[in-house]
Amino acid sequence: MSAYLDFVALLRTRGVIPEKAPPAEGADRPWFVVLLQGVAGWLAGIFLLTFIGLMFKPSSTGAIFALGALLLVGAWALYHADRDAVFLDQLALAISIAGQFAVAWGIVKDHLSGLPIAATLLGLQVLVLIAMPNQIARTLAALFATIAWVFTVRFVLRPGQGEQMFFGYGHGETPPILGAWTLPIAWALTWLPLLALGIWLVRNEAQWMSGALRKLARPLLTGVLLGLSLGGIAAEPFTVFLLGNEMVGMRFSWWALFPLLSVALAMFAAYGAFRMRSHGLLGFAIVAALLHLSRFYYLYGTTLMWKSVIMLVIGALLLLGGARLARRDAETGGAP
Amino acid sequence: MRRGYTPARMQSPLKRSELDGLAEFYSLDPQRTETMLELAGARPSRAEGLRFLGRCLRIAGVLSLAAGVVFFVAANWSKLAVFGRFALIEIVLAGCVVLAFTRPPPAVIGRAATFLAFISTGALLALFGQTYQTGADVYELFLAWALLGLPLAVAAQWSVASAAWVLVLNASLLLFCGWNPSGGLLWAIFGGVHFRPAHLIMGAAWLNLALWFGFEFRRVEAVPDWVRRLVLSCAFGFGTWGGVLGVAGGDLVFGDMKGDAKTVLALAAVMAAVVAYTLRRRSDVYPLAVVMGTFIIVSMVWLARVIEFRDEGTFLFLALWLTGTSTAAGKILTTLAPSWRAVPKP
Repeated sequence: MSAYLDFVALLRTRGVIPEKAPPAEGADRPWFVVLLQGVAGWLAGIFLLTFIGLMFKPSSTGAIFALGALLLVGAWALYHADRDAVFLDQLALAISIAGQFAVAWGIVKDHLSGLPIAATLLGLQVLVLIAMPNQIARTLAALFATIAWVFTVRFVLRPGQGEQMFFGYGHGETPPILGAWTLPIAWALTWLPLLALGIWLVRNEAQWMSGALRKLARPLLTGVLLGLSLGGIAAEPFTVFLLGNEMVGMRFSWWALFPLLSVALAMFAAYGAFRMRSHGLLGFAIVAALLHLSRFYYLYGTTLMWKSVIMLVIGALLLLGGARLARRDAETGGAP
Repeated sequence: MRRGYTPARMQSPLKRSELDGLAEFYSLDPQRTETMLELAGARPSRAEGLRFLGRCLRIAGVLSLAAGVVFFVAANWSKLAVFGRFALIEIVLAGCVVLAFTRPPPAVIGRAATFLAFISTGALLALFGQTYQTGADVYELFLAWALLGLPLAVAAQWSVASAAWVLVLNASLLLFCGWNPSGGLLWAIFGGVHFRPAHLIMGAAWLNLALWFGFEFRRVEAVPDWVRRLVLSCAFGFGTWGGVLGVAGGDLVFGDMKGDAKTVLALAAVMAAVVAYTLRRRSDVYPLAVVMGTFIIVSMVWLARVIEFRDEGTFLFLALWLTGTSTAAGKILTTLAPSWRAVPKP
């Protein structure tokens, strides 16, 4: 008997479920299969959009938007048509991604500016998350919504900053709204809601699992944990990602410490993954943490000597904390 | 017995998707769902959580110290004379070795000290190159680090050290294949007219594959499943790169390269060997997934080259090809995964 049927029998014995035949064993879709299908779907969506663009040559924003909306409706219909037909699911993912690109392009085509683009993408991804009845599509939407949220807060508090980098021209960089406090407040505004959402979803798993919310909450949790792991890159000056720019000088700056906060976010995501027993998410969070560490190395803002000192001090503190927890574990004999 | 990529205590017999399915099918209320999660061992206890946190802190601490040492060398601190810089790194290296002898691995302190000694070896080599401007290519630094650090990586008896060694070796191969330098140890063997860049890249793939097969046949605790997956991913990363160059025959990277049947055949042999072994062992579907991923990418590039983007229909064809192949791959993998999960492992 499989582990699944063993477990169903155990649930019956304990009176958790009635004597009713269980549903067929669900497809075990490991993380790397989701990754493979997600990336393939994304690429197929871009090819599909290119084909449609070349075929119909829509030029006005209205036509592009209408085309995108049509594609999204088509994807939604395909998902609904036959939820067990995997080819249709994968095709629907490609169509949905093509539709999202087209809708986003239709909305922001004539308004190349950071905030409207980020806000539009956020709205679009939330819509896809709610509407598309597919786990992979929803997970991707949740991840992209997280990233779009990060950029939205960034452009609200630091208007125009980084537009030159993204679009090749800017609308003029205005001073940050909150002056010197912009950075810590932006960090808190960006990450605290996402952290709170992640904590709530992890803690209340049994509650949302028992209701219709489970269809949304599961991909949302995965997307938020992925976003917390990697999203730190988007929160900082994009120049940092490009390994240095004259915008960030060699003088000591608090900017330099931000990749370390990103490491902390990634480690929180790792803990969330551990709570969910998800090996894929755990691995992703660890890789993201190492990526943030390498960015800390390249990020100007303070000298490497200072960074070395910071890492040595943090290393010693972490080791002390780890040793203390290990001692406590040994003393209690691992008792809960 | 279940095997996995984390300690047994971190594994649940059922996936979250299966638990979601049961909760939905039986319309379980929150209390019953809570009981189900508990029975499935799907949520770690407080003690497990603290143990996990403790391990994370220890590993993060060791990695932070290692980063501190590397940053220090990179800082090239002018206030410290050359002798002082070497002395400092050598003292760290010697201290780690002494500590490792005092509390040998697999004790936690011994593992950490040996790992730090491995990192310090790389830092020392980097400091040597930085100070004396030896003219060596960057790949030579990593290659020397991988060769000289191998005894330390073995002595550490730790998966983190094994993974770090694999990454250092592959960084060296990546730099060698990517920059195509005309000097150094590897070039003396593989340079000249006999080998095309695609051959070198496939060589890197074969080297990783040999390591993977080696550790598949001779299981070592310090090279657990996740490290073997890392090695296999490196093998197929290079394999895909070589395969794309082999079928593209265009100017993707090296400009004047022509398509190369030998490279494609070498890749096909790699894929066939991995598929045959995996199907025989019936243990983990990950190798099949990387083979399929490589096939999808290489075949897509080949098709794009054959069709030559004559009209817009090419894009539709490629989209359908990607959709079809990834669907087939997903279907095969999701069918095999649960049946292999139930197979008793040696």
